[in-house]
Amino acid sequence: MKFAKIIFIIFALFPFYLSAETAEEQGLRIAKASYENGRGFTDMVSDQLMILIDPKGNEVTREVSGKTLENLDPNDGDKSLTYFKTPKDVEGTVMLSHTHISDDDDQWLYLPALGRVKRISSSNKSGAFMGSEVAFEDFSGTDYRKYEWKFLGEEMENNETFYKLESYPNYENSGYSKRISLIDNLNRTYKVDFYDRKGELLKTLYLEDYVLYKDKIWMANTMKVENIQNKNITIFKWLNRELDVGINKKDFEKSSILRLAD
Amino acid sequence: MLKKYIISFLFVFLQYLVASQNAAAIDYKAYGFIQPEITTFFNGDGRHDQSNSNQSIFVKGTFITYLNNGDQKITINTTGRIDEKDSERSYIDFQKFKYEQYFDDITLKIGNELIFWGVNESFNIVDIINQSNLAEDISGTKKFGQPMISLNYNHSYGNFDLFIMPFFKERIFPGRNGRPRLALEVDKSTVAYESSSKKNKIDAAVRYSTVYDDYDIGIAHFYGNNRSPELNVNPLSQKLDAYYPILSQTSLDIQSTKGAWLYKLETLTAKNGEERHFGIAGGTEYTIYGLRETTSDLGIIVEYTFDDRNDFAFNNEGVLALRWTKNDIKSTSLLAGLVADMSGSSNRFFAEFEQRIRDDLKVFIDMSINGEIDADDFTYAFEEDSQLTLKIAKYF
Repeated sequence: MKFAKIIFIIFALFPFYLSAETAEEQGLRIAKASYENGRGFTDMVSDQLMILIDPKGNEVTREVSGKTLENLDPNDGDKSLTYFKTPKDVEGTVMLSHTHISDDDDQWLYLPALGRVKRISSSNKSGAFMGSEVAFEDFSGTDYRKYEWKFLGEEMENNETFYKLESYPNYENSGYSKRISLIDNLNRTYKVDFYDRKGELLKTLYLEDYVLYKDKIWMANTMKVENIQNKNITIFKWLNRELDVGINKKDFEKSSILRLAD
Repeated sequence: MLKKYIISFLFVFLQYLVASQNAAAIDYKAYGFIQPEITTFFNGDGRHDQSNSNQSIFVKGTFITYLNNGDQKITINTTGRIDEKDSERSYIDFQKFKYEQYFDDITLKIGNELIFWGVNESFNIVDIINQSNLAEDISGTKKFGQPMISLNYNHSYGNFDLFIMPFFKERIFPGRNGRPRLALEVDKSTVAYESSSKKNKIDAAVRYSTVYDDYDIGIAHFYGNNRSPELNVNPLSQKLDAYYPILSQTSLDIQSTKGAWLYKLETLTAKNGEERHFGIAGGTEYTIYGLRETTSDLGIIVEYTFDDRNDFAFNNEGVLALRWTKNDIKSTSLLAGLVADMSGSSNRFFAEFEQRIRDDLKVFIDMSINGEIDADDFTYAFEEDSQLTLKIAKYF
């Protein structure tokens, strides 16, 4: 009798499972929609401010400016060129990245003190960007295909309902075991919790000041990272962001670094 | 004399270019630093009976402006030093003083320029365009700007560069009171050349470079006065006479970047005067990221250089070095290692520490300790010049 009941329940549920998405499929669908929210910009220029705050409240500000070229090939990553303005001892430093979805990125660095362009390793995924709480993988790992996704349900925060997604990096050398994201009903990421390799909560990222560009592209102009373990805070602000300005794609070649260099 | 006229002309031309722009639209960057340095030597007055300390001030200034919507660029990059002891080490140099015009795929460049070729951390044997200032740094990595006209053609198959270089500059060696210095002084009045045009010889070079997948590749040929002179003892003056042969050098440099491993190779074959020689230098650099679950990285560098000239200073040397970067807000880093002569017992330990102590201040501590040096090694003259240098840079 008991056995029959179990069979009945299983059969009763079966059609439902056939028609609905799995949690993984649903997670992937939302993550893809969220990623595509920020696509179609063609190219982009901006100035960026990075404010580093330690637990005592001491603040330092770093300034960079950058250009990004969207890769129209959906199977390859974008290219970006970053020019460092402060701190003053790194002024004139230029970094060029060609990101890839499954392979390591290609990166070159021009350092004024050395006066040479160096190809550098990009396997440093978990390393800190300029002493901040932002890791290199936080910049290069924005493509949804770099993770496995899972939909966990809906969650209320600040009187708003968010999709709650769990993701696991599928590239090597990540500093994270998993991430938990909250995404709003416009598919904009609101918050991400990062868990370290041991599974402990490491830091929380808040994406704020969303601006709608070209009537279709949502981009957050403030990123705040609170490290839970060392209590440091990094605030990243995009200023003067302009999209689709018509940058020459040759500007993103290794040889063009010297046009920016000192 | 001609050089002075050309530099004055260039200066007036650049001023004209800047003045012809709408003043409000000129966008420029100007920055630099001033760096007092104190050196102390561990072996007292040393082999050449010199002072056991030195003070020095190094300055660097950079000015960049783009004109006509970025189609033209002017770069001025000046370095200079005032040295307490060695007048040869006091200098001013326009490392870069150049005008660039960007066409679609072509860049035209006129003026003083620093051109770096190579991939290695320690032995950049293919780097030949610029003259070394050994008074500034005995290792030869500090270079003078080279006047040139250069063309770069950026094709989808790679980059083609042509360099035409008038105005050869003689190598600068440490003076009598410079420490470290060679055992004998280099006589400036007896400099000789293979070329009948001497220092007015116009040198030329071509280079092709490309990026193919994980490989960065450069092939180059240089024809001109060798930057590195032959030094021969003059028995009458008891000084060294410098002789600059004509060098015809073909070189290849490759770096392969495979994850955390970098593989580097520089090789050349050259005809120097009447003799042909071959050189090869390379190695690997492996970086451990996030050392012991911290934010620190540790790089391990192993490099080796070989040259088939027996009388060449670096004909069989190895380097083992560790580079620790803390990746903190102060950009703390330490590079330390050992340079060893593989065919003798000479060796040298070095360490370079740096840390930002304020947004506009950075401290550098450099140490160099000479181990046992063979009497027939050219660095024997520096054996008692182990030193510690403290530098503080103030940025503007």
